[in-house]
Amino acid sequence: MNYVFQFNVVWDHLPELFEGALLTIQLSATAMALGLCVAVVCAYGKSARPRPVRWVVAAYVELIRNTPFLVQIFIFYFSLPVIGIRLTANTAALAAMTINLGAYASEIVRAGIEAIPHGQIEAAHALGLKRLQIFRFIIIFPALKTVYPALASQFILLMLSSSVVSTISAVELTAITNSLASTTFRSFEFYFVATGLYLAMALGFRAGLSAIYWVVFRRGRAA
Amino acid sequence: MKIALRFVAVAMLLAMPAILAAPPARAESTLDKILKEKKIRVAIDVGNPPFGILDKDGQPDGSDVAVARQMAKDMGVELEFVQVPSTGRIPALLAGRADVTIASISVTSDRAKTVMYCNPNGALQIVIFGPKSIAIKTPADLVGKRIGIMRATLEEATVPKMAPQGTNIVWFDDISATIQAMLSGQVDAVAMTSFAGKTVADGNPDKQIETKLPVTTAFYGPIVRPSDFELRQWINTWLFLNNQNGTLASIYKKYTGLDLPQLPVF
Repeated sequence: MNYVFQFNVVWDHLPELFEGALLTIQLSATAMALGLCVAVVCAYGKSARPRPVRWVVAAYVELIRNTPFLVQIFIFYFSLPVIGIRLTANTAALAAMTINLGAYASEIVRAGIEAIPHGQIEAAHALGLKRLQIFRFIIIFPALKTVYPALASQFILLMLSSSVVSTISAVELTAITNSLASTTFRSFEFYFVATGLYLAMALGFRAGLSAIYWVVFRRGRAA
Repeated sequence: MKIALRFVAVAMLLAMPAILAAPPARAESTLDKILKEKKIRVAIDVGNPPFGILDKDGQPDGSDVAVARQMAKDMGVELEFVQVPSTGRIPALLAGRADVTIASISVTSDRAKTVMYCNPNGALQIVIFGPKSIAIKTPADLVGKRIGIMRATLEEATVPKMAPQGTNIVWFDDISATIQAMLSGQVDAVAMTSFAGKTVADGNPDKQIETKLPVTTAFYGPIVRPSDFELRQWINTWLFLNNQNGTLASIYKKYTGLDLPQLPVF
């Protein structure tokens, strides 16, 4: 092999790569926030009294966790138009990412809820707190704190798996990299740089998530 | 004794650069390697009818595949297919996973900067096609329309140049996603080879798919890694012989239904 690396081409296209990375960050951050909401609502639903609610949540979680992400994306982008729902590539990607993360995160949140000592909940009942109050203050807050590291790594995984949405023409980092690699034929160089950008974004997200943990769980406690 | 050992050690150290820098007798060429191992690795794209497809038994078929089979047979070596997606046709070759790519790669000067073309073995036409309900008569009608194209293709190199400002070009990674996007209405029309257009139109009569605009016509040929001159020369010789004896024309006719145009050489 006598391959000559030419990184000059990559530097010329850095602004485009950054634009793609920005969309990756936007999609991921939005999906993280929405997905966590879905997860908390599902966790609440699982502890709900009516059986059908629990069944619906269980069905959703099992369906999403046991099917490939790529197929879920295709359903949102290619199949929904058949029944008249036309989502743009970015919206379809965001919806699929949110639904996917919601299912995985709800299982993590459920593990946190199960770790709450039963006596703590009984004590809250004894103090006359309402159901939603108990869920909010006694269950979900400590539960989220317990499982925060697991949630954080699920968030990072989501950011990395967002590369798959390039297949439905969302122009995030992988899509831009594919385009540039195929028009300049410098695939090694572009994929190296994309790898570096993903690594930087993952580390950035990790730092950001740690900061959120500190603000929400640590400082709140000290006050 | 000790001094003698030390002398040998110093002598070896001194000789080291000379040993390392000594050129090998002659670097083995890719053609030598193919003939020695009795095996040629050919990168093909089986997602691109009628050039490369999988037949109903899941075996590679198509005009590119037929060319590769005949070539390996005439070379007297075993044929190993390296199946790649459209975007992997050049990277697989450059990464050394294949010795040659035969996957209807149209000749462009940009691609020739990274790989070496053999002489063309066929021609194709890129067209924009879409459902009858979409009105596209001239390039100006593309404004405001969503046009799907596949990455790493001739379409990608030509459509953005012909499309006026205001055309929404949407990129996909493979042919099935591109076609699916048109069939589900996510894009208004797609740019692809006229052969692919015909396959889609025949397979979906209810959509009334028709050709809207011609984009470009191009010749395509096998590609090899830069500096693989021996292999390129062998392939060119083979192409010359099989152009003369009509093999290339009969393969082209069998899969495309068209007569092979006069093939230029370079």
